[in-house]
Amino acid sequence: MKDLMKECLVKLKRKGVDYADLRKVESHSQRIGVKNGEVEGISYSQNSGFGIRVLKDGAWGFSSSAVISPEEVERVASEALRIASASASVSKKRSKLSEEEPWVDSYQTNYLEDPFAVPLEEKIELLMKAVEAMRGDKIKVAVGSLTFHRERKLFLNTEGAEIEQTITHSGGGISATASDGQQAQRRSYPNSAGGDFASKGYEFIREMGLIENAERIRDEAAALLSAPECPQGEVDLILDGSQLALQVHESCGHPTELDRVLGTEISYAGGSFLSLDKLNKFQYGSNLVDITADATLEGGLGTFGYDDEGVKAQRTYLVRRGVFVGYLTSRETGFFLGQRSNGTMRADGWNRIPLIRMTNINLEPGEWSLEDLIADTKEGIYLETNKSWSIDDQRLNFQFGTEIGWEIKRGKKVRMVKNPVYTGITPQFWRSCDAICNRDSWHIWGVPNCGKGEPSQIMRVAHGTAPARFRKVKVGVKR
Amino acid sequence: MIGKERIFETLQEILASAQADQTEAIFIGSQRGLTRFTNNSVHQNVAERDTDVTFRVALGKKIGVASTNSLNKEELREALKEAVEIAKHQVETPHFSSLPSPGEYKEVNTFFEETANFTPEQRAEMVRKVFDKVEAQGLTVAGALSTGCGEIAVLNSLGLAAYQPLSAATLRMVVSSADSSGYADFLCRDIGTLDIDGLAEVAIKKCLESRHPRALKEGRYDVLLEPPAVGELMEWMSMIGFGAKSFQEETSFLSGRLGEKIMSEKVTIYDDGNDPAGVAMPFDFEGVPKQRVFFVKEGIAQGVVYDSVTGNREGKPSTGHALPPSSRSGPMPLNLFVKSGDGREEEMIASLGRGILVTRFHYVNGLLNTKEALFTGMTRDGTFFVEDGKVKYPIENLRFTESMLKAFSNVEVVSKERKAINAWWEEVGAAVVPALLIRDFNFSGKTE
Repeated sequence: MKDLMKECLVKLKRKGVDYADLRKVESHSQRIGVKNGEVEGISYSQNSGFGIRVLKDGAWGFSSSAVISPEEVERVASEALRIASASASVSKKRSKLSEEEPWVDSYQTNYLEDPFAVPLEEKIELLMKAVEAMRGDKIKVAVGSLTFHRERKLFLNTEGAEIEQTITHSGGGISATASDGQQAQRRSYPNSAGGDFASKGYEFIREMGLIENAERIRDEAAALLSAPECPQGEVDLILDGSQLALQVHESCGHPTELDRVLGTEISYAGGSFLSLDKLNKFQYGSNLVDITADATLEGGLGTFGYDDEGVKAQRTYLVRRGVFVGYLTSRETGFFLGQRSNGTMRADGWNRIPLIRMTNINLEPGEWSLEDLIADTKEGIYLETNKSWSIDDQRLNFQFGTEIGWEIKRGKKVRMVKNPVYTGITPQFWRSCDAICNRDSWHIWGVPNCGKGEPSQIMRVAHGTAPARFRKVKVGVKR
Repeated sequence: MIGKERIFETLQEILASAQADQTEAIFIGSQRGLTRFTNNSVHQNVAERDTDVTFRVALGKKIGVASTNSLNKEELREALKEAVEIAKHQVETPHFSSLPSPGEYKEVNTFFEETANFTPEQRAEMVRKVFDKVEAQGLTVAGALSTGCGEIAVLNSLGLAAYQPLSAATLRMVVSSADSSGYADFLCRDIGTLDIDGLAEVAIKKCLESRHPRALKEGRYDVLLEPPAVGELMEWMSMIGFGAKSFQEETSFLSGRLGEKIMSEKVTIYDDGNDPAGVAMPFDFEGVPKQRVFFVKEGIAQGVVYDSVTGNREGKPSTGHALPPSSRSGPMPLNLFVKSGDGREEEMIASLGRGILVTRFHYVNGLLNTKEALFTGMTRDGTFFVEDGKVKYPIENLRFTESMLKAFSNVEVVSKERKAINAWWEEVGAAVVPALLIRDFNFSGKTE
């Protein structure tokens, strides 16, 4: 079939396309969910198909099919060509691509223990034990889940690239929801929204400590019911790594996507305040803030060998010493900037075109230990684990809520507070960053549910972060 | 389109071979095209053909689920075998009693040839009309036009066999100037009802009227929410409160409050999969006929939607609101309606007196405090200050943080006209909502 697919690209070239590529993708997923001592669901899915992307006369066409046969490859290729012609008929803009090596290579993410080979009984037992340990009088819902995903991809293009990749992801987490009838309070471990995820094998789950952390999560959820509300006001704020990961995601990752900056997402999730005139000039954060995009990072959920345009994985700076210095780019947007692509184009399956997506977008570690940072904070709030998120259509005004907060007085965490919310304007917030913790507390948080595009695409990305402090942040909402 | 006969024939043959007490097959097929544009130019133009077959098997009360997107019989058998294997290793699901028995479905026309067969060239011609209108005003437009069709079939070993062909067309557009934007959208099973010129004019008018926005201090204002803004709120109300899962887990704002007055008597919210005023779909993903379910009736909390397992937990029948078995959300209302009132747009602005007119919200999040239905979000694409019952000037976008129970308790006028609003489940449903005049709504911040 590979030869037939190559032949299809040769034919497209003969038909005068500027460029074409073909991606064949086969994916397997397994999910196990346990709730209150019952297995809530175990599902396995497999999905395969291919898509052909054509650039002709500077206009794009894409078609795809779940049926992999010679006739269907032929049909899909001619439909993609027809769609490109339809695009050309109404588009004044002509797309061009930056140069790229036609890589011939294979790549796979590393793991020690194949997650699909671990017996189902063992996975269920782990979750059952963790969920059992979370049960208690005030706990209405105790849940745990494990998710495993493997994707095999073949990429071919008219320039001669031929890349095969196998990516394996593992993830999981637990959460306990306490209720007294009037209110519900949830605690999650190691993160909310299904836990933590990595391009690793089952060893990642074994090292997670789900059972070991279950009682703490239970107790914190129950204690939140009677905890005081988080006070309102302008305070010094320390965010834990997992909440900071989402902060990086929404306020740096998305606004540096160059396709978004150029308007392709306006009608959906909006544009970006990081307009072209700001590149290399705009003070995005304090001079402590270094943010990188690094698809080469071992174990990240945004780690790969090549992106879905066949561009090799890279590490680049988005923000350096607080200055905005780079976008996430594709071959098309790279050409627009007069640069080569930095390799961030990914599609969430064979039936979607690649878009610029975050890879592993990281706040580089600083020098503080978390202990010293708290001790150095006279009065403040420490917030852990995301609960709610919202940001405006230019990625400026944000509001996040977390599951739990801790008041800090005279350098010590003194009491638990509930329902914390903080809000701000992106560059003002990052400019107020005056301390970042060191590599000892730096962790790559996997985010498996990043949405973008129409038709909707869900991407797996990651953020390396350590806790950091921000001065005078608005906490609480006047109601 | 594969067609009812071929789908039934293929899946019945596979089901007959199942080594399980009960077996179910859910088929979802789609054939769609989408043209996406920005800066008056097409930047993405795509087509896809996909299928998905999910098997759910029961060995006693042990359930296994596996899916494949292949229609190859050997691969279908493999997926079924995988579901049986999973069930063997499962522990029992206590509230599972049986797959549903065959039901009677209302006849609803959900398929229109013109929508199903709309070509890339026709989509191009349609967006060209929008480009021409927008360019004539010196503006730009971004958006997406999607057309296509699908099929949903549910079969099980108890003889249940349901099939529905579907078509859907959606268009969303944002017209922009240097300092403003305006929004319009369309969702219908029949693209023949799309007035492309009229829709473009709505977005252009909003954009032109939004130019040179002024900053307005955050605070409490009376608001007139147009249908897209109400639709965004309803999407989150459904997710956090109208399904049996959140109700039983006591995180829903309806938990423990049935029979209580929780909103204004002017507010009635229900789900009706058989009403063609929305994007109808007569059965759910277990093949159970959809019932009309009231969540709030004249301000009084009424109930939630169920699938067979969550219904069993309370000794109630399914209301026909199951999602596919791979979903973790539990049953959900996909065909939501807010009952219309008697308000007319001009009169509602006059009744508003002094306040804010909101075209739509952006990035709403309803997880701040689900028991209070405390939401946050931003305004976008047309926000206006109203004074003396007239639109005075456009304003910069504001953030709201407000309890929806409080907001919907302060509803004063409900519009007569309603509109179907795009949501993530657009293939099988929509929220059909009116405009709402709400007193004393909290705007907690503003953007730059």
